[in-house]
Amino acid sequence: MSDLKSEQNKAPGSVLGWLDARYPLISTWNEHVGEYYAPKNFNFWYFFGSLALLVLVNQFVTGIWLTMSYKPSAAEAFNSVEYIMRDVEWGWLIRYMHSTGASAFFIVIYLHMTRGLLYGSYKQPRELVWIIGMLLFLVLMAEAFMGYLLPWGQMSYWGAQVIISLFGAIPFVGPDLALWVRGDFIISDATLNRFFALHVIALPLVLLILVFMHIVALHKVGSNNPDGVEIKKFKNAQGLPIDGIPFHPYYSVKDSMGAVFFAIPFALIVFYWPEGGGFFIEPPNFEPANPLKTPEHIAPVWYFTPFYAILRAVPDKFLGVVAMGGAIMVLFAMPWLDRCKVKSIRYRGASFKILLTVFLISFVVLGYLGTQPATPELTKLAQIFTALYFMFFLVLPFTSVNEKTKPVPERVS
Amino acid sequence: MKKLLWILNIAFLLVAGNVQAAGGHGIELEAANNNLRDQDSLQRGAILFSNYCMACHSAKYMRYNRIGRDIGWSDEEVVQKMAHGLNKVVDNVETRMVPGVAMDVLGTEPPDLSLMARLKGTDYIYSFLKGYYQNEKGAWDNHLLAGTSMPNVLEGIQRHATPEDYDQSVRDLANFLEYVGEPAKLDRLDLGWKVIAFLLVLLLLSYLLKREYWRDVKH
Repeated sequence: MSDLKSEQNKAPGSVLGWLDARYPLISTWNEHVGEYYAPKNFNFWYFFGSLALLVLVNQFVTGIWLTMSYKPSAAEAFNSVEYIMRDVEWGWLIRYMHSTGASAFFIVIYLHMTRGLLYGSYKQPRELVWIIGMLLFLVLMAEAFMGYLLPWGQMSYWGAQVIISLFGAIPFVGPDLALWVRGDFIISDATLNRFFALHVIALPLVLLILVFMHIVALHKVGSNNPDGVEIKKFKNAQGLPIDGIPFHPYYSVKDSMGAVFFAIPFALIVFYWPEGGGFFIEPPNFEPANPLKTPEHIAPVWYFTPFYAILRAVPDKFLGVVAMGGAIMVLFAMPWLDRCKVKSIRYRGASFKILLTVFLISFVVLGYLGTQPATPELTKLAQIFTALYFMFFLVLPFTSVNEKTKPVPERVS
Repeated sequence: MKKLLWILNIAFLLVAGNVQAAGGHGIELEAANNNLRDQDSLQRGAILFSNYCMACHSAKYMRYNRIGRDIGWSDEEVVQKMAHGLNKVVDNVETRMVPGVAMDVLGTEPPDLSLMARLKGTDYIYSFLKGYYQNEKGAWDNHLLAGTSMPNVLEGIQRHATPEDYDQSVRDLANFLEYVGEPAKLDRLDLGWKVIAFLLVLLLLSYLLKREYWRDVKH
């Protein structure tokens, strides 16, 4: 790599030389790609970062093409989606890639976050990488929520109605706040228009900036790895980490393989299971939004259901909103709640392994409960698993101080 | 870690299965056993739709020329068979009911049927159309949708055709409505395996490339 670099610098007459004299092209490439040293022991879990980027690009490209035919108005939105599905060349494929992509985004992000929890990627010195990542997660949820209103189907409409009415539960300012968000007394054309503006311009812009910051912050401190040891501790004569390999070509070829591997189940869903059993596209959304007719059972899309289950588990509406918000916000504090010096789960004590397992199971069970009608039995179950969800964050600060850890190797294994 | 992934996977599948099961209406639906690739069935279904449904219902997201192209009719044939030559081939499939009178005459607005198969499922349509019975007062009612204002439109076929022919007619109609729900469905099914075959080859190549590069990484 460095040979190539000096060759290029020696050629001031070349296009690259001209550009590099005016823009830090080669140094930027080297810092983030060509000479960014990543640990050599990344496993399966480390594909999800680059896959998140891939899904983001998929959403951007398919989203731009959908915007060319979509009409953001209460009168035309539903019709224009069917127009895309029937009359626009390849419209059905673009639409399914976008709707499947939304679900794929959350699958990838949830696994990416799980990876962070497993290997302690949120710990010193990567606290800011984690916090920017959490901000990304928040914005992504807003982006998905607003995008879901756009097809203007029954579930789009009533899902948004339920979620926005949550703002109304906030004391004093609630009802005015909900009115301000909707721009009307009910979800209406005004709401659809502003959600469209936020979905296609404002939030994608914020996502892009945050992704940039996420990567810059990561490259400043360097990547963690499944052993949770710092590769920067052992350097060779050239000052390069012994256990590190340049991102390009090693991880660029490996992540390309990961991208193709991911594309296969993605294509299977797009072509053979686009509704995802009613999870990726809910059947009531094939009926246009009708403000006068409430569907029998309103459930948010699957990726919101864990938090929705927590909301419903709390009897008081306002406290439910607080619990739901708290369930997300508490994750921001992970770098400080977990006080164990050992990063990777491979060398951590039984207490952490048990806590994390219970937490992850609670998340999945809550996700299931959030899709179901709130019967008394299921609500009781949701309360138990909500308690277990929060237990992770309440108990961890105490158990992690004197955790019985295993000896951590000096170098990656 | 692999174990955890399996658990997540299994949990996901369980949830998916459960929701599909919960989609029922308390009454077992009869399987339509229709076949989207059976063009004769789709053509019969289109004619049945025109004769028995379009007096009240529309399929407004479909155009005649698209239907013709997809189910094997020329432009002239499709307007002849479905609209008795009264519509243009580029027209959308609208109801023959005079606009605005439905509420007065029927007391309800018959829904557009473009997406009914996607909303309710093909089996539901099949079971619904076969679900009519005469109650003790002699009036028509439906097992799937009690008190429906829709009459048993296929009663004539039910009375005069053999039970097999009647079932086949209902199947043809359900088949046509499934096609109308997603006209690109066959394109989707036919393209998918080619894309996946291509991706499998690409996966092999990208794996070989990765292995070649990673040869010099010592573990």
